[in-house]
Amino acid sequence: MATYTPRQERHPNTLRREHRESLLFALFIGPNLLLFAVFTYWPLLYNIYLSMVRWDFLRPTMTFVGLQNYIDAFSDRRFWNIIWQTATFTICSVGLTLILGLLLALLLNQPLRYRNTARAIVFSPVVMSGAVIAVVWSYIFDPRYGLIDQLLGFIGLDSPNWLADPFWAMPAVIIVYVWKNLGYAVVIYLAGLQNIPRELYDAARVDGAGTWERFWNVTLPGLSPVAFFLSVTSVLTCFQAFDIIRVLTNGGPADATTTLIFHLYELGFVSYDAGKAGVVAIVLFLIMLFLTIVQIRYIERQVTYG
Amino acid sequence: MKRTFTRRELLRLMMVGGGAAVLAACGGQSGQSTSQQTTAPAVVSQPGSKVKITYWGSFSGNLGEAEQAMVKAFNESQNEVEVEYQFQGNYEETAQKFTAALQANTTPDVILLSDVWWFGFYLAGAITALDDLARQVNLDFNDYEPVLLNEGVRKGVHYWIPFARSTPLFYYNKSIWAEAGLPDRAPETWAEFSEWAPKLVKSDGSRAAFGHPNGASYIAWLFQGVVWQFGGQYSLPDFTMTMTDPNTLRAAQFYQDTVLKEKWAVLSPNLNQDFIGGAIASMMASTGALAGIQANATFPVGVGFLPRETNFGCPTGGAGLAIVSRAPAEKQLAAMKYIAFATNPTSAGVWARSTGYMPVRISTKQTPEMIEFFKQNPNFKTAVDQLPKTRAQDAARVFVRNGDQIIGKGLERIIVNGEAPSSVFADVNNELTKAAQPILQDLKAVEG
Amino acid sequence: MATINELEQAIKPVVVRRRHIPLSLLGWRIAGYLTLIVAVLIIGLPVYWTVMASFKETREIYSLPVTWWPAKPTFNNFSAAWEAAPFGRYYLNSFITTFFGAGIEVILALFSAYALAYLRFPRKDLVFLLLLAALMVPTEITIVPNYLTVARLGWINTYQGIIIPGAAIAYGTFLLRQAFMAVPHEILEAAHVDGAGHLRILFSVVAPITQPAIVTMALLSIVSKWNEFLWPLIVTNTTDMRTLPIGVFWLRNSEGLTNWGVVMAGSLFLIIPVLITFLFAQRAIVEGMTAGAVKG
Repeated sequence: MATYTPRQERHPNTLRREHRESLLFALFIGPNLLLFAVFTYWPLLYNIYLSMVRWDFLRPTMTFVGLQNYIDAFSDRRFWNIIWQTATFTICSVGLTLILGLLLALLLNQPLRYRNTARAIVFSPVVMSGAVIAVVWSYIFDPRYGLIDQLLGFIGLDSPNWLADPFWAMPAVIIVYVWKNLGYAVVIYLAGLQNIPRELYDAARVDGAGTWERFWNVTLPGLSPVAFFLSVTSVLTCFQAFDIIRVLTNGGPADATTTLIFHLYELGFVSYDAGKAGVVAIVLFLIMLFLTIVQIRYIERQVTYG
Repeated sequence: MKRTFTRRELLRLMMVGGGAAVLAACGGQSGQSTSQQTTAPAVVSQPGSKVKITYWGSFSGNLGEAEQAMVKAFNESQNEVEVEYQFQGNYEETAQKFTAALQANTTPDVILLSDVWWFGFYLAGAITALDDLARQVNLDFNDYEPVLLNEGVRKGVHYWIPFARSTPLFYYNKSIWAEAGLPDRAPETWAEFSEWAPKLVKSDGSRAAFGHPNGASYIAWLFQGVVWQFGGQYSLPDFTMTMTDPNTLRAAQFYQDTVLKEKWAVLSPNLNQDFIGGAIASMMASTGALAGIQANATFPVGVGFLPRETNFGCPTGGAGLAIVSRAPAEKQLAAMKYIAFATNPTSAGVWARSTGYMPVRISTKQTPEMIEFFKQNPNFKTAVDQLPKTRAQDAARVFVRNGDQIIGKGLERIIVNGEAPSSVFADVNNELTKAAQPILQDLKAVEG
Repeated sequence: MATINELEQAIKPVVVRRRHIPLSLLGWRIAGYLTLIVAVLIIGLPVYWTVMASFKETREIYSLPVTWWPAKPTFNNFSAAWEAAPFGRYYLNSFITTFFGAGIEVILALFSAYALAYLRFPRKDLVFLLLLAALMVPTEITIVPNYLTVARLGWINTYQGIIIPGAAIAYGTFLLRQAFMAVPHEILEAAHVDGAGHLRILFSVVAPITQPAIVTMALLSIVSKWNEFLWPLIVTNTTDMRTLPIGVFWLRNSEGLTNWGVVMAGSLFLIIPVLITFLFAQRAIVEGMTAGAVKG
């Protein structure tokens, strides 16, 4: 672990002052960390413990079973299926958000009229409640009276029964998720676009690069840090996307939209299987930790060699 | 402490955390007998003042209003007890809240529990024996519908009093029936319905003859009846799971065929809505939905007994009232007074007429209001007439924790994914057998 | 882990500068507008659909063909939704929990960010990692232990029970820290020379300069508290403690027919205040969200 270097390293400091500053640091950040300790880290540790017991939330005692819950989970075909679905959901949602967000941001970066209004509209779903959005969309997906059926009707198509069809339910969830989160990506991309030094474009133009080449050689590399930041945060939020699935499909039909986070909820609050829920919680946390580390490493490489 | 947060230390920290967790968990439970921090001491009220009790229920909308009205009527009928009704979400959410409240010692005094939940709380000792309390308020168990009351009896002791009890009914859209030239009645048998069904379907796919609910809407409850009709069952009384019984599988195959082979049925997350909207011509659904459906449908609604196959089969369902063990004696008695009121012959009639749930008292059926109501609502009479032919559900669904959802998910796999019933129900059978293990242990500990 | 600095690089504050790459061709421009219109329609239509449905009668919602404009606009859905549950009380509760929840988050984030940005501490990287890890713990896994903790504190069905477990803040801390780091060094030095203590530097120097970022962080925090659903649902028992999202969720939950008009009207109860806030503060949110931009 390399040390983190604060910017003020250049200040000449006495030892006493350093101590006082450490104390102040602890005082300033202490309350925040204390709350995290009680309401985040402790539950995490508690889940590690729960993952090694058998308990139904009702009996007075928990039975310690060691790693049995892990063995059960990993030998369950359903568990792997859910991991696979989580991957599908995350990859599709993040991919679509990143690509559509980039296109929209490029568009909104042009000197078009009303683009601020457009930007506001595109961003607005970000501030809406996931649970309510899912309620609204369950009406929009209604195969008889819903908006999508109407729109498909214009081009002579029939709406699939989105939420009752095992094939269409996952796309439906992804659509809603991308719809809600696209604006966030757009805004972050816009900031990134505005941060690319104009001189690079000028230089490219002098070199005779066309629009496409400028995009490919200047815009995209210039955006890559922002895109990485987006991919990190989007993956993390995707793994935690619960409200929409809970309200829209409740994980169904036939498990088709059950992701890890929903499975966790289901085990804890429907099956009352504290041990298995603990396993899923730990697996979920480890996957997120792993992905974050991988992404940070990737960023590191990009910044160093890119 | 520089970089010394080694794996061993982390492990130690975890163990400490785990130990604390055990203590915490035990502490939560021991509060039951020793400290009652959040609930009141055994005697709470001054002489002459009202005993206040908390009642957790699961009804919103029309049903919620009816339930609120019941509580209000009780509060106004006497001045010893005051009930506060607190809506907790649907049956599943109410059970969740109760489980959490047991851990945290924040329980209510009286609670509405569904058919699949009361037993688990009984095993955990969370709900109390009612016979003594019933004696104190002169409650006559003999006047309750036996098929409903006996479900809540263990070893001769009452734990769960029928309140919002229902059975499935066959609902049909009379306009579509007439359009198809069918006789104005529910089909006698599934074979008969299979002949009718193609006439009820619209070829453009906008209307199916029949609708199945999904797992979350209790398909396993409605399928319970069908399994019996086909001569199968979910499980034997000794908790032997029989999901792979040939007759059980035959019923599952029939369900799959209605959707995938014959294609006259659909599985829908919003069954009642589809029925009212005319997207399905018929369905099986709870009697508890009768009032709501009749109020909202734009067509005449017909109901009938469930169709037969080799047998008739129809389960009971719905929810009943229980009293929380750790409530102080005075509040338990107050809760019993409320239960006695809510299920007395008059109240049972009011409740049944405003909701469609079964009148739980035998004598209710003879009250003039009820006789008049039957005359005006022959559909409701049908529901009541079917009651004596119903029976309590198999252990697999109502006594095994989460059994309902395990079976429901299996049915979704069969109907929606088109997987073979034999392989799916073999999985379900295993899962149920596993889930039944702790129940059997507890049962032995509790009932010997 | 030599990575923290690189991560910082990646999420480094950007300097917002207006720049247009002009489209030379008219055709391109038209294509641009068309795409923009399509995008806005796709995002906006569901909201339009919600608003229209909230003015339709149930019968109209359930009749074909579906109408794009209410045939007989009615306010009944709004009054029906309002009467279906004590929404006045829900509003009050949502305001209280949002105000205090977001307020605590902002204060905690200000102090934490200041500490991370300017104060020396021997194991700062560890603190940084702890905060980063908190981003990776979903609320769903904390619910059971937190319910027990809150119960032991006697906070079930109280405002503090709803607010406190979610009051710690990691994302906002990072956001503000980025903004703080972008404050020109000379300004801080000058304040130090003037003999200003850290509290004064935080509130009279750093906070005013980074105001856009703080506003953004506060708004994001308000939005997330306003929309919070699962935890308030679990931790409250009585109607007078419930918040708006729960009320809206239960509108759909009643047995029988879903009355979409009423549900959509109820959804608007929740969405409209946050949309209005957003419209007023949209510039601040959008520009501040790019991690505490300072005009360069």
